[in-house]
Amino acid sequence: MTYLENSKTFDPLRPGEQWFYYWKTSAVLWESQILQFPKDEIVFLPLYWGLHAESVTNWDFGQTLPERDLLRLHEILTQHGRKYCWIIPLSPAPFFPNGGISASAARSLSLDKNGVQLAVLDHEMNLNKIFSFFEPKVFGAYAGFLKEFGHFLRKNKIKSPVWGSELFYYQDGKNHSFFDDQSLAFEQGFSRFLKALHSENLEISDAKSEKHLKQKYTDEVKKLFTTTAEETLGSTWMGVQKIVILGASPKDTILRSIPSGKSQLEYAKDLFYQLTNSFFISSALLTAEEKKDLLSSMIVENFGHKEIQQKYNLEPPQSYNQGLSQDFVPYSVIDLFGSTSRGSFTSTKLLSYLHSNLKSLYTLQAEFPFHQEWIDANQARIKLFNGAELHRRTFSQLLKLFMMGQRILLDRTGLSEDLEKKLQIFLVENNIKIQSVNFITSIEICELGEGVLIIFQGDRLNENPQAELFWRQIFKFFDLSQPEVTMDPDVFSVWKIRATSPHELSYLNVRRLNLYNPTSYKKIVTIRTHKHFAFMKMIDPSRANAKSTPSGVDVEILPQGKIALDFGHYEDT
Amino acid sequence: MALKLIYHFQTSQNHEDEFVPASYGVVYFFSNEGFLDKDFLKEIARSVNPGTSDEHLTFPNLDDLKGFALRVCQELSERDVRLISVQDYNIGIDSAKDLVSLRGIFNKYGELIQNESAKKKGIMAKFFKS
Repeated sequence: MTYLENSKTFDPLRPGEQWFYYWKTSAVLWESQILQFPKDEIVFLPLYWGLHAESVTNWDFGQTLPERDLLRLHEILTQHGRKYCWIIPLSPAPFFPNGGISASAARSLSLDKNGVQLAVLDHEMNLNKIFSFFEPKVFGAYAGFLKEFGHFLRKNKIKSPVWGSELFYYQDGKNHSFFDDQSLAFEQGFSRFLKALHSENLEISDAKSEKHLKQKYTDEVKKLFTTTAEETLGSTWMGVQKIVILGASPKDTILRSIPSGKSQLEYAKDLFYQLTNSFFISSALLTAEEKKDLLSSMIVENFGHKEIQQKYNLEPPQSYNQGLSQDFVPYSVIDLFGSTSRGSFTSTKLLSYLHSNLKSLYTLQAEFPFHQEWIDANQARIKLFNGAELHRRTFSQLLKLFMMGQRILLDRTGLSEDLEKKLQIFLVENNIKIQSVNFITSIEICELGEGVLIIFQGDRLNENPQAELFWRQIFKFFDLSQPEVTMDPDVFSVWKIRATSPHELSYLNVRRLNLYNPTSYKKIVTIRTHKHFAFMKMIDPSRANAKSTPSGVDVEILPQGKIALDFGHYEDT
Repeated sequence: MALKLIYHFQTSQNHEDEFVPASYGVVYFFSNEGFLDKDFLKEIARSVNPGTSDEHLTFPNLDDLKGFALRVCQELSERDVRLISVQDYNIGIDSAKDLVSLRGIFNKYGELIQNESAKKKGIMAKFFKS
């Protein structure tokens, strides 16, 4: 049974993304359930750590209750040659009752910024209340569980990897961690934190400093949970994954409770926001009804088996410039770096330009993973950095990428004096010719071999009505070869790329455009190929049709329809 | 289409030398079809309380908030609206277990405000129908 078939028939024990809820069924059924996973798929076991609490200090891994018998679970998986990972939540987990916290420690209910109690409807429409991780008893219980779990793994020589997961919900254009909290437990902890800071002469002077100190306190407590897990689990610890849980926000709980429910369009918006922002998702909370039709396809095609393998480092990232494979891989033209730069990308109108002209061809990256594999895999993408977020190390890495022949955009707004000086020395030392242009803002174009470094003053684009014109010129300069797609904002698209096969040698590569219409209306999409692309074929049309035209392709997609189109990319002669 | 409104009470605060008086703010306002359009709500809020900020739907007292809720109800020709404070909503959440009990919170803890004009219209409609 494929994942798609599985999601259609819907199994509450396997709620999606290769997760297995061992705790939701009798242990005697584990084997038959596990055998239903495709053999090549790794099984993920989210640890319902609160369930293993026998008492405040005793943790049970099967000595008392068979449903807690993790050794038996391990044996079944290994006996059938299945690979698996444990997932240990580093924040409240909305798919577990009490957010995963044991009953004795679940004391203080977690509140959002409006003071609303966090509660989430799960895939069986049970209401899971979220309890605060700032309650001191929670850390005690969590540390106790980790100690016993680590001991259990070592005693039984279990070497299966353990991933930590911080869980998020998406609301009002932002991802929010389930760790963040405004409850009484948080406030009490924060006042203890302030008392400790008082000795360091750090005090609240205004609302801004209070917000800053609250964030600092939250980060420190979060770090405490992570480092405890890392230290206790030793070599089995793989790191932390940030996962956005679909349907988990306070607004989602309300929407999912009303008769009309949350629409496929709203879910599609959430899903594609996460795709653009390089966040991974879980659909574990969604019901069979919610996962029907198009949403299921969108999840499987963009957050499916292959993407899961790559996310959990089970497969190296695939490159689209260093030896394309015959399999399609995600394709985008620009990476925007910075964990706090979204505001600047918005105010300089970059995001609105990209959304209108290069929809789904850009990604926002909170981190800059500067290592060889990543550099190779992403060489063809333009990279944009925000000066305000750069420090010595990342700045040196940026210059290295330029020297390696990559195309870099640098917004020098907020660049420190030290780095500005370093930049000038670098340009002089390497005898790099600078072409200065004044177009809407000051621009310096530096070229070295194939490398291009464009330095611009981004703050002069803020709220500037000509800002989009600036971006149009910049992208024109990069001479991107890309079909032009005109479509309704409620139609969603994903580009993929693969190498040519022996009978397609007249092409440089093959691009695939996946189109989805989650609305209740018929939509038309026009693709202009501009003499660089030839329409090859349509794939798996469902309630959709494509027609070749002299300028490209016209697509008609009915409500809840989808289609994929392949284009051969060739050089203009 | 039943209307429901969750509100919270914000105590007076000092924000960077600026005194912000206590207020009642709309957290969520929705019907059986989904959340009500923000621009529509802002327009109504401004007509009820000209001092309403562009960012938040706030009212100086509970009566103004109720007046606002009723105006929305009238504009949408709805029979009634149920108001619930965040505190009462949280009490409801505390005892709710599933979808059914979650839906029941508003009937159990919410305050009902009826739109008399819609009610009359309803009676007349029935009269003419028969």
